[in-house]
Amino acid sequence: MLENYVIHILILICIYSIYSVSYNLALGYTGLINLAHISFIGIGAYTSALLLRSGMPFIVGFLFAGIVASFFGFFLVYSTRKLKGDYLALATLGFAFVTYSILLNWTQLTRGALGLPGIGKPAFLGLSIGSNLEMLVLVFVVAVVCIVIMSRIIKSGFGRLMEAVRDDEIGLLVLGKDTFAIKAKAMMISAFFAGIAGSLFASYISYIDPGTFYLSELILILTIVIVGGAASIRGSIVGTIVVLLIPEVLRLFALPTSILGPARLIVYALVLIGILLYRPRGMYGRVDLV
Amino acid sequence: MAIIGQLFVNGLIAGSIYALVASGFSLIYATNRFMHFAHGATVAIGGYLLFALFNLLGLPFFLAALGTIVLTALFGLGMNRLIYIPLQRRKGSNIVLLIASLALLTLFNNVIMIAFGPGVKSIGWLETKTGMSIGGAIITPLQIWIVAISVVLMILLHLFMKKTKLGRDMRAVADNKELASIAGINPIKISDYSFMIGSAIAGIAGILIGLEQNLFPTMSTMLIIKGFTGAVVGGITSVPGAVVGSYVVGVVENIGILWLPSGYKDAISFGLLFAFLLWKPTGIFGLNKGVKDA
Repeated sequence: MLENYVIHILILICIYSIYSVSYNLALGYTGLINLAHISFIGIGAYTSALLLRSGMPFIVGFLFAGIVASFFGFFLVYSTRKLKGDYLALATLGFAFVTYSILLNWTQLTRGALGLPGIGKPAFLGLSIGSNLEMLVLVFVVAVVCIVIMSRIIKSGFGRLMEAVRDDEIGLLVLGKDTFAIKAKAMMISAFFAGIAGSLFASYISYIDPGTFYLSELILILTIVIVGGAASIRGSIVGTIVVLLIPEVLRLFALPTSILGPARLIVYALVLIGILLYRPRGMYGRVDLV
Repeated sequence: MAIIGQLFVNGLIAGSIYALVASGFSLIYATNRFMHFAHGATVAIGGYLLFALFNLLGLPFFLAALGTIVLTALFGLGMNRLIYIPLQRRKGSNIVLLIASLALLTLFNNVIMIAFGPGVKSIGWLETKTGMSIGGAIITPLQIWIVAISVVLMILLHLFMKKTKLGRDMRAVADNKELASIAGINPIKISDYSFMIGSAIAGIAGILIGLEQNLFPTMSTMLIIKGFTGAVVGGITSVPGAVVGSYVVGVVENIGILWLPSGYKDAISFGLLFAFLLWKPTGIFGLNKGVKDA
């Protein structure tokens, strides 16, 4: 029983590490104000769930989850390219609300608030995932591969351009760099990994509904990234582990389940406000949030 | 034709509530220049405070309502003093303040959830009356009151901003903070007043919603989305603009269900929000400042 629970937490840590590192790639490294990361995860989860429910193999759902999310990442950067500051933040949040609202109301496709049950478990090359332990091995391998790829991108020449967009966009423009292209690529990479992580999440939990990808979840991944620190991969990984383990303290109080959910979110919100007030760069942050 | 009239009236009623939310949000934005999403929580807290004071403590209604308005004003002041001003002192960027406000919204949503339970609550002060028919549209006396209170409050707010010294100081800070503080206006004081006045109006919105509909914990998120959509449509830095924008949102989302299923009501207003942000971020009346890159 306890063992199963530990495996469950470890699986979530792997999946959320991909969420948070990919979020940090856009928010921390490139300085893209984005409150819609949760929508990319949701779009990926729904894309994959719908494909799997229509009988497609897992790998197709998994890859399309990334591709479709990436497409919406481009759409978001393109449509908001002329906005800045509060208005940009508001537009990305607006995008998150529109996505939620469409998932909730396009009932022929998404079954709305009923959600999508019975999402198939992952299967690769004839190997299918049965137990949670096998699932843990899979998500661990995928998380490591994703994070290695993202850290390679960040350390590459393109990664330095991303950080330059954050630090001095005008300077880059003077050098003749197409900063829009850099932002669009960074957001597409970020959304791609968010999408495939969403696909893993959907297949692991086997049930998703629009509420899974809304404000509460946004607060959770924001807390993770800010606790870990902007522009730090190590920060996002450690942040994921710390933040996902914090609510375990609540288990000491033996709260009824109806209170446990809200209590978890209260803890996340307090941690987030506390860290913004007292340690705004988090554990390993290298830059302030723009 | 009757159906359009009814939807229009429904839109005006919804717009009146949104206007109360949006005017406070816009007042706070104009004087402080950051997005206070937790304003939605103030509205919900207003509704639940009325429920606690009137239904649970058994205070007379008007005393409970007055207490609610005072407490919501203090609640807004508390958020400003305990969270926003310290963050600004630490040179927190606007995105930091915005994230903090989303965290506050989530915090109080869940505090309400634990304190009052996830189910709906109703105040039940007024017995439900059958509506009267005006030009084929049904409207209840309470709904007429809601529209009237909202309109009167907005006129009072407008007069306050135009005619009183405090109102002029607020507009001065909204227009140019540095210049205003050189002229001897204390920006912290103005910031406190904007939070108290905006939050008191949010408290009134909470009371009216409590009387007209049921209270539920996540109402704050829905209301602040409608509130800032109204504010953006009208021009977020302009309080009268936010009011007009709110009526536009209320009417458009209600008329929209002529073509789309009623579940799409929220989607229509989000679409309106996104469209305005993309094509006319300054809104109908807003200033073209700090919106786009030059």
